Amino acid sequence: MKESMNKSSFGRVLSIRGMAQVFTVTIGLIILCIVFGIMNPAFFSARNVANLLRQIAPILLIGIGQSYVLITGNIDLSIGSVVGMSTMISATMMTKGTNPWLAVFFTIFTCLLVGLSNGLLVSFAKLPPFIATLGTMTIARGIAQIANNNYNTDSIGEAAQGFRNFFYYGKTLGFYNTIWIAIVLWVIFNFILTRTRSGRHIYAIGSNVEAARLSGVSIVSTTTKAYLVSSFVSSIVGLVTTATSGMGTMDAGNGYELYAVAASVIGGVSTLGGQGLLFGTVIGASIWGVLQNGLQFAGAPVAIRNIVIGVIVVVSVLLDVIVRSGKASKLRLSSHRQVNTVTVGE
Amino acid sequence: MSGPYIVEMHNITKTFPGVVALDSVDFRLKAGQVMALLGENGAGKSTLVKILSGVYSRDSGSIRIFGKDIEGNLTPREAQQMGVAIIHQELNMCSHLTVAQNIFLGRELRKGSLLDNRTMERKTQTILDSLGIDLDPNTLVGDLAVSKQQMVEIAKALEANAKILIMDEPTSALTSVEITQLFSLIRGLKQQGVGIIYISHRLDELQYIVDAVTIMRDGRFIVEQQFSDITMSQIIGHMVGHEIKEKYPRVQVEKGKAVLTVTGLSAAPNVHDVSLTVHEGEILGIAGLMGAGRTETTRAIFGADPKQSGTIEILGHEAKIKRPRDAIKAGLVLAPEDRKKDGLCTKLSVRENIALPNLDKLVNSFGVVNRKKEREMVDQVIKDLQVRLASPEMNASSLSGGNQQKVVVGKWLARDSKVVIFDEPTRGIDVAAKVEIFQLMNKLKEQGIAVLFISSEMTEVLGFADRIIVMCDGRITGTLMQGEATQEKILELATRFEDKLNGNKGIETL
Amino acid sequence: MKKSVVVLLVLVLATALFAQGAKEAAGMKIYLITMDQMDQHWVNVDKGAQKAVSELGGITYKWLAPDVKDDAKQIECINNAVAGGANAILLAANGPNAVTAALKEAQEAGVTIVYVDSAANFPAVQTLATDNTAAGATAGKELLNALKGSGVNAGTIGIISVNSATASTVAREAGFRKAFEGTGFTLLETQYCDGDAARSKDMSANFITQGVVGLFGANEGSTVGVGNAIAEAGRAVIGVGFDKSDMILSLIKSGHLLATMAQNPDVMGYEGIKSAYKALKGEKVSPDYYDTGVSVLTKADL
Repeated sequence: MKESMNKSSFGRVLSIRGMAQVFTVTIGLIILCIVFGIMNPAFFSARNVANLLRQIAPILLIGIGQSYVLITGNIDLSIGSVVGMSTMISATMMTKGTNPWLAVFFTIFTCLLVGLSNGLLVSFAKLPPFIATLGTMTIARGIAQIANNNYNTDSIGEAAQGFRNFFYYGKTLGFYNTIWIAIVLWVIFNFILTRTRSGRHIYAIGSNVEAARLSGVSIVSTTTKAYLVSSFVSSIVGLVTTATSGMGTMDAGNGYELYAVAASVIGGVSTLGGQGLLFGTVIGASIWGVLQNGLQFAGAPVAIRNIVIGVIVVVSVLLDVIVRSGKASKLRLSSHRQVNTVTVGE
Repeated sequence: MSGPYIVEMHNITKTFPGVVALDSVDFRLKAGQVMALLGENGAGKSTLVKILSGVYSRDSGSIRIFGKDIEGNLTPREAQQMGVAIIHQELNMCSHLTVAQNIFLGRELRKGSLLDNRTMERKTQTILDSLGIDLDPNTLVGDLAVSKQQMVEIAKALEANAKILIMDEPTSALTSVEITQLFSLIRGLKQQGVGIIYISHRLDELQYIVDAVTIMRDGRFIVEQQFSDITMSQIIGHMVGHEIKEKYPRVQVEKGKAVLTVTGLSAAPNVHDVSLTVHEGEILGIAGLMGAGRTETTRAIFGADPKQSGTIEILGHEAKIKRPRDAIKAGLVLAPEDRKKDGLCTKLSVRENIALPNLDKLVNSFGVVNRKKEREMVDQVIKDLQVRLASPEMNASSLSGGNQQKVVVGKWLARDSKVVIFDEPTRGIDVAAKVEIFQLMNKLKEQGIAVLFISSEMTEVLGFADRIIVMCDGRITGTLMQGEATQEKILELATRFEDKLNGNKGIETL
Repeated sequence: MKKSVVVLLVLVLATALFAQGAKEAAGMKIYLITMDQMDQHWVNVDKGAQKAVSELGGITYKWLAPDVKDDAKQIECINNAVAGGANAILLAANGPNAVTAALKEAQEAGVTIVYVDSAANFPAVQTLATDNTAAGATAGKELLNALKGSGVNAGTIGIISVNSATASTVAREAGFRKAFEGTGFTLLETQYCDGDAARSKDMSANFITQGVVGLFGANEGSTVGVGNAIAEAGRAVIGVGFDKSDMILSLIKSGHLLATMAQNPDVMGYEGIKSAYKALKGEKVSPDYYDTGVSVLTKADL
């Protein structure tokens, strides 16, 4: 008796692993928006909504990267530094007169090298991901500093106006380009994760790396792919930063790796690997952006903001842990039953 | 029913630094044959099959698979392609993925560059049906019981066209009903010409499924024979190198006063109103099917799980046990079911493991451990229990199963325990070590310590316990004395489920 | 083989350093220790100092700084300077209290202390700095006048600063707020951007959405963000800020920033070296506090 056929379609959606948490946080997001809107109606103004979406976009991008890495059971601490490296390299090149698009290409390429290093250090040299990416984080930040000889850059100039519009100031079909970039990249990476072999392998090595290895999955190749995705999106965010400021700041991106973890975890990605939906990361990033934006509108002092965000992240991780141990006790109960144990996902 | 030889290994030798793992070993397997590969832990069985599956390379000797000579080293990939597959004792499934996704892991089918989920699901359904396994391909493996996961592993191997299946301790985590299912599945495979190498310590099961046996000892090939041409004591004799007269060495000790009395114990979700008593000089065996609530009962007594009601008396005094610490203080200790997970700190040394619950006896007023006292305690335990190891500094996880079990129990013996509870003490342990564990229990019995042990091997309970209580569905359904107990009676009590329709409860409390 | 090469290299390096040291023993050794080596601000202090060094002659000069603004790291630099034989140090203290212990040790070792840009709570020969509070007030006055000039007498004002700890930016904000006391303007809760121009831009944009009529950036990164946000919003919001950089100047030129308070870091370095030199020669140095001031840069000045 195939029990899954008996669920309603809503039930079927919910039973996809992780969807229940996504559902919960979506409700949370809606409530947050309503609360902030009540506290200050300017929150819902067209101008703010447009700004808000554009503020969410970079968090979503780095969230995608960190989610990929978290699902493989690893972590990427170098995200923020790669953002810094990207903005400094691109801005420095442009202030020296390089064609902006050439600078973009070169910047993305160098950032991908960081991703490649991360992947090989973790999977080939078998360094713990925390240590490996801590190392590349420092190196990337150093590169950001020496890119323009230890100074922030000058203005990237009028020639880069097209670049600035493409990545930040321009609008397409009524929405800022930054949002489109984030959406398009999200669609692509979600597709890869859910519908290709590489994506399947990413979940597999996060779930049980030994089982994956014995089944012939290339651990090195899969781990490296995840880290490459992470560095790629970080480089894009760096380019967005350059476009925003019109210059390169060596401090850019500081701390972003942890925002990326927060967005992922709030959205239901498990820090233990093997589980998580990129759709959840969208909600997680949105919650993050809404909090930053809304708390400013509410006039909350920064200390309160940090506490609020910290609490939400802790609660999300707790939820992850509690649900998992709930599953463990369910398994004990059912182990002696001779009925098929097809349980609804959490 | 057997066909031609599909595996022929001749004169296989393999050495690791300082150790000769295999010394001129022969091994053969026919198509459609179940060949038991027997030997104590360390006999070389796992090394031999790892060479066959390409994980290790042989130093010398010849291998022929399906009549084809294997020159040089076999890679795991090549072995897989030739049809060799291992079902490991520790299951290797990705619990976050579905049955279908696990079965095709590493060999995903694609349409262009996209995953072809529909075909994979269809093929999964086909293979599951052909094996008589009733599962939805879209079930998450993490939601399945261990026995079902094992079947998925078998299905996975077969989907990859395995014709030589190596099964390592396949029945250790299964209930008797599930074992029957597994055996009928194996018989079906035999019909299809699949050859099966069956590694197991559960010698009593062999008669139901095995065609022939190959016995190894100390890295050497000892004998290969048809199962029907050899007796069990001969098998054990070959494995051990000497005759073991008594598998279950019982000692007669006069029964004394009650040491442990449990009354009305209830612990959600699986323990309902359990009462039992254990006396001095008595070994109480707890029998039942998996899931009957035996482990949960002992854990509740030990304080590892919370209980809703019940009193525990040790030597006449009530012991308020809310957590393991209370139980240990009262002299009640537990050797858990999963010794690697719950019984030992596998990353620590044997010494540290033995010392761990006894630190209160080894530290001075500042909390500093007295090294000399620690060493004395550890040496005493190793001596008393004859734990075989190179040094107490060895990692606990590198000991053999039997020796690990001794360490698990040994750490409790260093303190004056009054009640020792063993949960599946002989699971995954070879014959000779099993006897040593039984002798240990006898020693405790002689010292007046109350011994309870849970075992799913009915012959073990029958052979060794003085008194047997049987549980089913979280309740005690019956008590049997040594002389009057039979396998049928135990099984009957073990399957006396609560008759929900008639409200008829088969309970018999002591 | 490898080992001996390493040993040889070390010996060569040590000899080179020794030779350097021998040469330096003669002159005066003055170390400049700033908060970090990235900000153009410190670069300019160094430039001013070098100018004085080349004018005066006979001084051995070194510039030390940690890679990031960090109390512990700055203490290390101070200790290194003392160990390196400094006769005087020009210090821009990261935090007013954190480094006092290290300074006490330096003083006991006979080192003369001069503060540039930010003083610590420890007696020194002289402090050359921007009176940040006064500068903040100046910025406030500029904004106030401009708003009044365009007929705006009430409304909300947004402030973007670095963090709640850095003394200089905290003082500037305090001065700015004071300039608005008693006026019809409400100053909103300060937002902190850690000096990241992109984050400042987002926060400024949010302020603009809330309807502020004026914005203030307390340092370079904050000011760049303010300017970019005003440029994008196209609303009549007036922005003033701090520090001088290429980007800020271009934002002023394009009219998106009204004015910036340019510090005179080069003066700090220049006069600082001169004061240290005087003190080492045994002469009296005055005044105790030398306000190097700010220049108000507007479009007219560019």
